Parts: sequence; structure tokens; C-alpha cells
Amino acid sequence: MKRDRNYKILALKIAAPVIAMILAALISSLIILAIDKNPLQVFYTMFKFSFSRLDSIAIIFFNATPLIFSALAVSIGFKMGLFNIGIEGQYLIGTFLAALVGFSLKGLPAAIHLPLVIMAGIAGGMLWSFIPIFLKVKRGVHEVISTIMLNYVAYSLIHYLIADVFKDKQQSLVEGLGSVLVRTPKLAESALIPKMHGFLSIFGIQLPKHVYLNWFFPIGILLAVGIYYLVSYTPFGYELRAVGHNPEASKIAGIKPDIVYLKGFLLSGAVAGLVGLSDLLGYFKYMDMDFPQGYGFDGIAVALIAQNNPFGIIASAMLFGFLKRGSEGIQALLKVPMDTIVILQSLMIIFIVVITKIINDYVKRLEKKEAA
Amino acid sequence: MLTAELLASSLRMAVPILLTAIGAVYTERSGIVNIGLEGMMIVGSFWASVGAYFYGPFVGILFAMLAGAFLALIHSVTTVTFGVNQVVSGVALNILAYGASRFLSLVIFGKATTSHHVSGFSPIDVPILSDIPFLKLLFTDISPIVITALILVPISKYIIDNTVFGLRLRAVGENPLAADTLGINVFAMRYAGVIISGMLAGMAGAYLTMEHTGMYVEGMTQGKGYIAMAAMIFGNWTPTGTLWASLLFGFAEALSLRAGEGSIIPYQFIKMIPYLLTLAVLTGIVKKATPPAASGEPYDRSIG
Repeated sequence: MKRDRNYKILALKIAAPVIAMILAALISSLIILAIDKNPLQVFYTMFKFSFSRLDSIAIIFFNATPLIFSALAVSIGFKMGLFNIGIEGQYLIGTFLAALVGFSLKGLPAAIHLPLVIMAGIAGGMLWSFIPIFLKVKRGVHEVISTIMLNYVAYSLIHYLIADVFKDKQQSLVEGLGSVLVRTPKLAESALIPKMHGFLSIFGIQLPKHVYLNWFFPIGILLAVGIYYLVSYTPFGYELRAVGHNPEASKIAGIKPDIVYLKGFLLSGAVAGLVGLSDLLGYFKYMDMDFPQGYGFDGIAVALIAQNNPFGIIASAMLFGFLKRGSEGIQALLKVPMDTIVILQSLMIIFIVVITKIINDYVKRLEKKEAA
Repeated sequence: MLTAELLASSLRMAVPILLTAIGAVYTERSGIVNIGLEGMMIVGSFWASVGAYFYGPFVGILFAMLAGAFLALIHSVTTVTFGVNQVVSGVALNILAYGASRFLSLVIFGKATTSHHVSGFSPIDVPILSDIPFLKLLFTDISPIVITALILVPISKYIIDNTVFGLRLRAVGENPLAADTLGINVFAMRYAGVIISGMLAGMAGAYLTMEHTGMYVEGMTQGKGYIAMAAMIFGNWTPTGTLWASLLFGFAEALSLRAGEGSIIPYQFIKMIPYLLTLAVLTGIVKKATPPAASGEPYDRSIG
């Protein structure tokens, strides 16, 4: 009986995201029909554009990289019942500190410089996650509100630092542009992350220059494995899950929820500090106010679809990477607005949470019935 | 003269925050956290441009409020009926609002990021107040939406504090089980609270499009939905407190626009003021915050 039930629960867990995707795709199809386009052709084009060429697949991996870090950071929060909606701010600060170490230190060998830059990113994320968790533990401030506020504080702070303090004054004027760009100086070569092109060519995979897939992608995968191990098999992971399940009961088991919250949230912030580094060290090589935003919110979506499972996160980050790539395809080839896919993503979140909730209630009823 | 001008500008900046923040009071007092207010403002600002462009300002504001209410309805279905995480639902709605507005803007106006120019209401002078010398600048040539927002403060205070509706709204926000036992329809009250907040956030978006900028521009809300939540917290979940908080935050914004090159405090730091003040309130440095007891908690009869 119990075994049967476990299989049933597992099947439902896998079915939930699939059903959510189908429902979201159906509603998106209606939207596509409303603008006189053919939904089947749109979805077909998305797949064809994304998967028919090797460089396109590599771009999907590159797109997925920041989302893996971001969703892992969200999932650590969720595991202990906290909502880290502050990843936006945490990765802005992390990216800036990494950039600072990247452009201010010169003449270091890459083997020292690059790790320093990555550690600076981690430190920035931890710093910005320390404030809300400190306020929560010491003052009972709800982390959702404080992290939202801190996101905006971070944005203004970074704006100030980039525009007023560390603006690159060495830039040569761009032809036809009146003033220099508001951005940091370029990072030193030794601070940049190498692309994966060389490694992949050993296996006969030749990627063109316009692909920016770099070593942060495998780092993200390794981190997912590490976090899976940490959460599932270590005493700290057990404490995280215990506190997330029932903080009051965990106290009776001798766990101090405040300490777990503090450690767990700092870990979440540390991972969040890495979110922007693939873009910074592998693509832009400087930071400006147009640095990509929104990875924190996308990460929430990715983590929800994966139901906080690290391996699921890799898969759903790839899904989002594909959706982004595919949306570029349908806009370029079919003149269907790429924002159709943003709508699809938001619908997916709504459906996944509703369906998961319904399934969880169903499972609870099932358990009750068995107990009776 | 400069100060009166600064005050007038503060008032103009405060209005969208105030409207949304009053809405936030309704939803939070009913026990539902609405992070989606930002998104409801976004759809409001977009649909106001559609309504105002094709049919004039009255339809503009109507469309904006309906669009806000529609998103709020989705939020009610997910959070009240299904009881899912309120923050997750709000985050999803913000993404939906962003994507849907870009999509529709491209389809209707041919550009994803801006609408055509639209005209708003003709500005009016407030009788009596506009004759007082010092207040002249504040109360001449102002948008009717500004006056609506200001009038909504005492009206909302009366509704929440003194009417049956307000009493029930507060009851389901403080203790839904007790309210349910007394025969109050918890679900209906919460739907009402959330949908009112969506309508007001939509109106705030319409103000930005029609009265402030004269067109819809992507990203024009600039996180004002979140500032409004901050104003509601700073105003201790009351309409009157929210008014003062909104004026203070509007003042900070007006000030940050003026602080240009060479000012002592960089304008980016003035922009942080609303957020830092809200954090200070929540930590109890400035004063004690008292949120509704059941805010953020889904109500489920079977668990009760």
C-alpha cells in the first residue's frame, strides 16, 4: 500500500510541471491565434531555430547558466521555508564587487586573479543577504519585504558607484557619441572566465566566436550536485529541511532555527553572488547600468518548476534557456513578439503553483485516509 | 517660490504612490499580501494609453482600472481560492504584466516600449484652496486624479473604520476563523480587498500615463508598486498614515530629481530614502509596525 502511494506521489510530482506547461502553451496558443499566427508553426519554429544548429544549443546552455545559480539560491531559501526574493540585489552587489576586483587589480596571473574575482562575487552576495537575515533573526522583519527594499537600495547604490565613483574615464570617445559611456573600466584579461570552445574542440565540437558559453556552466552543474548532496545527506541539510518543515518542532529536536536561518540564507546569498558572473566575466567584461536584470525573478520560476530539486533546476534552467533562444527565433522569422514567451513563462508559474497545491492537498487526504 | 514648487512637485510624485498604497491597505487588511501591485500599475499605465488614445481620458481610466482588477482577480483566484503562496503569485503577475504590456504595445502601437501620445483630463483649480496665496501653486492647474486620490484618503478611512464592510474586511484579516464562525464570507471579503487594490493600482498607472507623461512608456512605474507597499507599511496599514508616508516618499522623489550635478548628497542616495525608512520602521527604529495578524496566511476551512 505504502509503496503504491509513493509511486503515485512521484508520478504526480513529475506530472505537475508537464500539465502546467501544456496549459500555459494552450493559453499562449490562443494569444498567438489572436494575432493571426499559427501556434503550431510558432512552436515548431522555436524548436527548429533552437536545436537544428550546434551553436544555437550552446547559446541555450549559456542562457541557462545564470538561471542555474539563481534558482539554486532560491531553492536553498525555500528548503528552510524562507523566500529569498532579494537575489536581484544580491547578484547586483556581487557582480559589482567582482568587477571591482577585476578591474582594479592588475598584473596577477589568472590562476590567482580569477578565483579572487569569483570570491568577491560570493562575498557581495553574502553581504547583501546578511542584512535581511540579520533583521529577521534579531528583529523579526519579514524577509520578503526587507529583500524587496534592499533590491532597490542595491540598484541605487550600484548606480552611484558606477556613475560617480568608478566610472571609466580612460574610454576613447565613440564616433558620433557626445560623451563617454557610463560604465566601469574593462576588467583585466586575467580576471575573465575562459570559454569552453577549446575543451569542446577536443571532442570535435567546433563552436563559432559569437557563442559565449563558458566554464560557469559546468561550475553551475557541479554546484547543483554539491547542493543536492548538502541538502540530502549532511546534518546541516537535515536541519535546513527540519526547520523548513516545522520550525517549532525542530526546536524540540535541539535545532536552533535562527542559526539555521542565518547559515542557510548566507549560503543562498553566496550562490546568488555568482548569478551575474557568467555575463560579466564571459560576455560584457565591464559593468554598466544595463547589466541584465530579472535573473532573480526568473530563478524563482525555475526553482518552482523544478520543485526545488537541484537536478530539476538544471533541466528547467535549460528549458528557460531554450524559451529565450526560441523567442528570438519566432520574432526574427515569424514576426511574433518575443514577449509571447514571457507571457508563457508567467502562466507556467501560476499553473505550477496551483497544480502543486492541488496535488499536495490530494496527497494529504490520501495519507489521512490511510491513517484512518 | 522654490519651496512651493518643490511641494507641488512632491504632490504630483506622491499621487501614484498614494493611490496604490491605499489599495495596498485594503488588500493587506483583508489578509492578502499583494506583491503584484507593481504589475497592476503596469497594466493600468498601458491600458490607460489604449483607452485614452482611442476613446478619451474617461475610457482610459476605466480601462486601466479594469485591467488592474483583472490581474487582481487572478491573484484572488490563486491565493484565496487555491491558497497558493501569495508572494509567488504576485511575482508571476508582475512578469505577466510586463510581458503582456510589451506584447500588446507591439500589436496595438507597433512599438514594444511606448504608446502614441495621449491626452489626459483638463487640469482644474480647486475652489477656495487655490485662492490662498501660499497654496496657490499646489492647487491650481492640477489633475482631477490628484484630487480623487486625496479625497480617497478620508473616504477609505471611513470605510475601513466605520462601515460594516470595513469591519468585516478587518475581521478576515485579523482572524479568519473567528470571522467565518460569525458567518462572514472570508473568501468574498478577501476577493473584495484584492480587487479594490487592483483597481486603485490601475488608476495609479493611468495617472502616470495620462497626467504625468502623456504616453505609456515601458518601465514607467519604476518600482512604484513596491514603494507603495513600503508607504502602506510606513503608514502602519492605515489610509491616513499612508497619506503622510506617500507625501514623504513623493518629496524624496521630487528632491532626487532636483539634486543634479554638484549637490552635496548624490541623488541616488535620496532615492534610497523610502526603502531605508521602511526598513527602519520594520526594525522598530522609528516606530512599531503592527501588520494585520493573518496577513499572508491562506485560509483553509478544512485546517482552520
